[in-house]
Order: sequence, then structure tokens, then C-alpha cells
Amino acid sequence: MTTILLGPQRFTTTVGATVRSLDLDGPIAVINSGWEERESDDGELSAILDGRARNLRLYHRMLDVLTKDDHFAAAALDFRDRQDELRAFYGIRLQSAVDAVHEVTHRTSIHGIGPLAVDAAIAAVRDVDGWYAGQLAELYRSVTDVAPPLASPTIGWHRGEIGAILDDCVAVAVAGGNVRTLLRTLRVFDLTLPADKPVVAWSAGAMAMTERVVLFHDFAPQGVTAAELHDTGLGRVPGVIALPHAKRRLRLDDREQMRTLARRFPGDRLTLLDDGAIVRFPDGSGELPAGARTIDDDGYVRVVGAA
Amino acid sequence: MSPTERLVINRLRERPVDGPAVDRFLARWGSPIIEGERATFLYRGHVDQAWIRHRVVGLPDPLEMKRVGDTDLWAVTTVLPEGSRVEYQVETRQGEQYHRFNDPLNPRLAHSPLGSSSVCAAIGYRVPDWVVPDPEARPGTLVEEVVRSRALRRDQPVQIYLPARFNRATNYPLLVVHDGTDYLQFAAMKTVLDNLIHRLDVDPLVAVFVPPKDRLKEYPNHAPHARFVARELVPLLNERLPLVDTPEARCLMGSSFGGVASLSTAVRYPGFFGSLLLQSASLVFTDIGFEHGGGPAFDPVVKFVNAFRARPRQVVDRIFMSCGVYEPLITPNRSMVPVLRHAGMRVHYVEARDGHNWENWRDRLGDGLSWLFPGPQKFVYE
Repeated sequence: MTTILLGPQRFTTTVGATVRSLDLDGPIAVINSGWEERESDDGELSAILDGRARNLRLYHRMLDVLTKDDHFAAAALDFRDRQDELRAFYGIRLQSAVDAVHEVTHRTSIHGIGPLAVDAAIAAVRDVDGWYAGQLAELYRSVTDVAPPLASPTIGWHRGEIGAILDDCVAVAVAGGNVRTLLRTLRVFDLTLPADKPVVAWSAGAMAMTERVVLFHDFAPQGVTAAELHDTGLGRVPGVIALPHAKRRLRLDDREQMRTLARRFPGDRLTLLDDGAIVRFPDGSGELPAGARTIDDDGYVRVVGAA
Repeated sequence: MSPTERLVINRLRERPVDGPAVDRFLARWGSPIIEGERATFLYRGHVDQAWIRHRVVGLPDPLEMKRVGDTDLWAVTTVLPEGSRVEYQVETRQGEQYHRFNDPLNPRLAHSPLGSSSVCAAIGYRVPDWVVPDPEARPGTLVEEVVRSRALRRDQPVQIYLPARFNRATNYPLLVVHDGTDYLQFAAMKTVLDNLIHRLDVDPLVAVFVPPKDRLKEYPNHAPHARFVARELVPLLNERLPLVDTPEARCLMGSSFGGVASLSTAVRYPGFFGSLLLQSASLVFTDIGFEHGGGPAFDPVVKFVNAFRARPRQVVDRIFMSCGVYEPLITPNRSMVPVLRHAGMRVHYVEARDGHNWENWRDRLGDGLSWLFPGPQKFVYE
């Protein structure tokens, strides 16, 4: 099970060369549902893939399901509204918890309480993350109980087509875009990417290959500024949190903030996916390859394998 | 500009000047001339006196212009800090005849319901790029409707903005805009919404633009107006459109008296709206007595604001407030921020080096709307 995570493809295009380096003949399945209504504007991507692209059209298929299957559509919309409400409460709790980390970090400590307070404050942030993850899992359980995707004939029909395309393809390319939409389309069709086929994914696509999808944008004009746990991905690359556009979206030189981010997710390696980044996980390996850049627990960016 | 550099108008004054020299000067420099934090206004004409008229608090009004040599060129220089933007006109006297008009040497104009003015932009001021149509931004649509109002005892025309890709399966927040027609016409608000939504700075939302009929009566704490908005308009829109039916997703906005209308409606229906966007709100008050200096139109305003200040209470969760530092309302606005905060409301307050005008309010929409309705930037990783 080979998975390759790439940096953004807008200015530094590496996906064509990366796919060619796999040395596989045959069509490439493309998932670009994160592009939403621009999903079918895939001519440029297809050219980069030497004309071998077979678009799974997951976004358009999802719209078709929502149009034709009233029961599933109602459940999906109800789930969306509940998740939005959950996210709103999570955002309030999370921002307060992250602000508390900042405050205790800056408080003068004469008697050694400071570091303990910081540890406890970060544990409180993890607790909020855990609460959100638990509530979200419960939401998924309830929606699946009400409207199991596999019980929908429309979804079943699309799954048949998707499966047939995947069977014909030798690899899968997953593009970026709106990660929420991308994940929704993957879930609607309960898509598992074949273990024996290499996957090349970038930006939001790379996030979707991990176990935990974390949203972040330190320079967004407003809203919750703290990085937010959003959802679970396909888990093809366990123990990695993908951070595309890290230079553009994270205050990498703010060690305190980066330290807090890294310590929130102690079991995961925060992996930076900037322009030109190529991070290979060959044959199911969970090890980060040499040259990959991560944010360590001390808040510094480090290069794997560097002396 | 360093002290050793002299203003170009002073260099002109120091040498013999004739008509062709003035022609060349104007052709080269135009008007007004911005040099560092100095602005020189020019007027050319055979008049007895000339002034620059403006409403910038802190600068003398009028600014008297002086003749340059024996020519028909008039000039005056004033300080204009970086980032400033002021609106002004020229006034002249010839004999007993006074005339007031836009600067004929300056093509840059701002428009309002009261007419147009010339615009002087200091160094550092830039028109935000999201106020002009972006060909890549999908446009939303404006739907005209007439709402029968029992509260107002009349038909109330409104314009409803539906964002691009409006989808009945999605629920949208609602923004109620006082002086709605003016916001569309003079603050380019449809274009602003189209662009900010396209850039993911602002969540897709439904806005209802509501013009007043008798503004000075309906906007300063008028019970029928508040009832119309809270008990007729919003419920009607909730019935017809896919809106998020919670206070957090309802916002009232307005400028000047429209700001008073927004706050007073929220006060009459506490907890029904989640947020306010107040621009240069006419929140005039007195600390003792009732001499407010605003004329009879401000009497109900002062009565309302004084009462609120006497017993402030939380009526919404969040308020975005903006005001120009060059307008007389800057002091009341600054004074209201701590009052609103102490009442338990989260206030994001922004000042600009600008005046009481529509372009100031337009330029602040990016800050205000993105704070109240943060867009989905965090979800997009291209």
C-alpha cells in the first residue's frame, strides 16, 4: 500500500512526475470532489496525468444521490446541521482552552507551578478535542443508523460504477480543494481506496488520507483562530497530520503556538506539505521518509534524517 | 516629507508666475497634491475669495485658500495623516455671490443621497480591491419584494440578496440592512458581498436591504419599525427562505441613524438577534441635561441612548462597530464601546481616518462582515 503525499500543485506541479515515477501502465482514477461544482473542469489535471485520468466524479454523484434519495438526503442534511452546531460549540470551547494555554505560558512562575499549569492547560485542550471527536463519532453512528448508505439503491448503483472504475485503474490521484466536501463524498460512498493501488494525494487530498483531519489558518481574517480537529480521514497514512500550505497558513516562527499545536496531538507527526514537498510512504510504511518536515514538540520545524 | 523638502506650491510661489506657468503646474501636479502627510488643495478662477469646505473634525472649516502671486490660482495646504480619506468641496465668493461645488481640478468623486463630493485620499489610502466587480466572483442575485406591514401600516419594499450558488438545501444566516437602497447604491454592497463570499472571507448569507420611508421618524427608536423588522420581516423571510433560525445567525446593520435603528430594535427585542454591525452610529447622548446640540431630529436618539446608558443590558452577543476619526460622532462611538462591553456584549471596534460617509462605511464592510460571518477559508486547501 503505497501512498505519496504532495505539496500544493498550483505553482509547483509534481503530480505528473510522481505518478510517472510509479512506472505503472494504465488509467489513473481521479478524485477531485473537493473542487465541488468545478469537479468536471479537470482538463488540466488530466493533461498532467498524460491523458490517463478517469474521474470518479464523486461530487456530482453525491448531488445525484441527494436529489434522488429523499430519505438519505434528509438524514444527510440533518447530520450537516448537527455537525455545524457541534462545531460551533467546539469552537467556543476550543478557543477558550487554547487562549488559556497562552495565558498560563506567559504568567510569571516563581515557585515552579507554571510548567504544571501549561501541561494541565494543554491537557484541557486535548480534552476538548476528545469531546468533539467523541460527539462526532456519535453523530456518525446515529446518521448511519437512520440512513445507512449501503441501504440506498442510488448509492449502491454509484458504488458499483465507482468500484468498476477503480478496478480498471492502476493508481489513484486525490486532489485538494474543500476538505469538508471531499470527506463527505468519500463517506457517502463509503470509499476505501484499494490497498494494492498506489495513491498520490495533495493538499486537502493529502489530509483526507490521514486519520485525523485538522483545520488550520493562522492568517484567516476572523473566526476561531486555533487549529481545529475536523474529522477522521481514510487513515491510509496513520499517525500523520497533514499540514498543506504550512508556510502560508501557519505562524511557523511562533514557537509557543507551534509547541501547543504539536503537544495537542502527541501521537501524531505534524507534517508540513509546502510547495514541492513529496512524502512517500512505500508499501504501507508509516515511517516518515528522510527530508520530510515536521513540527516537533518543542515547536521547532525539523527535517527528518537531518543531522 | 523631510523638513528640507519644500512643498511644490511654495516653490511655485517663490518665482514669477503667469498663466502659462499655472497651466504647466496644474498639468503636472493636478489637485489635490499629496506630499507626505500634507495635502495642497487648488482652485483656479477669477474670484474674490476661495475656501475648502469639509467636515473633518480637528481641521478649521472652512480652510481659506490664498491666491498664488497675481494669478487666478488659489491654494491651501493642510496636514493629512497617512491613510486618510476626506470628502470636500470648493466654495468661492465673487462680490456678494457665494458658490459651492466639487473641485473642478479633481475627477475623483464620492456619492451619497445628498449629492456628490470631491475626494482627497492621503498617502497610504487604498480602495479595497473587493469593492470593485471581480469577474471571477459569481454574482448573487437581488430579488425585489414588497412586504405588507401592519406595524408600519404600509407596503414596505425590500431587496433580498441571495448568494451565488443559492441552494434550498443549505441554511443561511440573515443580515438585515437599514438604509438598504443606499448601501447598495453608495457602498457597492452587492459587489462587496459577491467578492467577500467568493474569497471565502464571508460565509454565504442572505441579506435583506430595507429602505426607510420617513428615516428621521422610523430610525431613532421607533416601536413600529422594530416590530416590523422583528415580528414581520424576519418571520416572513424564515417562512420563505432556508435560513438558520437562531439568534446567532441574525444580524442587524446600519450606519448613522441606521445604527440607532439597529441597536434600538435589538433593545426592543433582546435575544432575538445575535449580532449588530454599527457604522458611525448616531449614538449621541448627554451626561447631564438635554442640550445635545444635534437639533430636534436627535431628541429621540438622545432620549434612547441616555436611557440605555443609564441601564445597559446585553441585547445581542456580538457587535462590530466602526467610526471615522474625522466625524463628530467619534466621541459618542468611543464612549459607547465600554458601555456595551460592560453590558456583556463582545465588541469589535474599528476606527478609520475617514468621515461620516458611504465610502468609509463601504471600506469597513470587509472587517465587519468577516468578523460576524467568518467564511470557510479553513476548509479550503487547493
